[in-house]
Amino acid sequence: MEERLYDLIFICRPATPEEEITKLTHTLEQAVAEHHGKVEKLENWGTRRLAYRVAKNREGIYIYLQIKSTQGDMVKELERRLKVAEPVIKYQTVRLDEDVKLQKKLIARREKKAARRPRRPAAAPATQATPPAAPAEQPPAAS
Amino acid sequence: MADQAPAQPPAPSGGGFHGGPRSHSGGPGGGRPPREGGPGGGGPRKGKRQFFRKRKVCRFCVDKVDFIDYKKADMLNAFVQDRGKILPRRMTGTCSRHQRWLCEAIKRARNIALLSFASEL
Repeated sequence: MEERLYDLIFICRPATPEEEITKLTHTLEQAVAEHHGKVEKLENWGTRRLAYRVAKNREGIYIYLQIKSTQGDMVKELERRLKVAEPVIKYQTVRLDEDVKLQKKLIARREKKAARRPRRPAAAPATQATPPAAPAEQPPAAS
Repeated sequence: MADQAPAQPPAPSGGGFHGGPRSHSGGPGGGRPPREGGPGGGGPRKGKRQFFRKRKVCRFCVDKVDFIDYKKADMLNAFVQDRGKILPRRMTGTCSRHQRWLCEAIKRARNIALLSFASEL
């Protein structure tokens, strides 16, 4: 199976203590490992102002995870845990591997096009293999 | 005393005068109403305006951006009105492909409360 790349962002209530967040992320990492996945990145963006009220809160603690996995049902398990967790007020999982693939394709295509374009000659083209030995006259302005 | 024939202007040989068949058909992307020039060219990008801006290049095509990240709320804010609505392409000059990606990124950001759906005025 192809390896899928997921972005998981969830928001905790603003007054959540640090240990609870760490415990929560540990649980999630365990769940990821059970489904043969790997957590690539784990970031805590801290308390941020929300663009709109979520569960009567105007601020929240943003946690960002990037996960690689081959199993799709891992997402269901993670979201179930997040739904049950008390401090989490919002979560979103985005699948990104198709986008990354497209990005790589575009970069590759662009580089190929750049390589195919005739480049300006950096050095004078030296086409002579050996200097003319026998004939006395030299080729006019050869190089 | 010599007869002076009125000097004839050089006969136009091969259309120099009236700029014959060349007529501006509205430039590339035809079918648009004629440009009236922006208000002083350089007004703020947000808000509704009646005139067109000068034809702008797509910012993303110039920078060769391949992926518009929905997590960058400050960058996405430039393409959103103050009321929270997404700006149309003719205001920002984005190309269609990047506009599609941009819309997807804005909607994802809205879902995770990085951007607002609609702000009260």
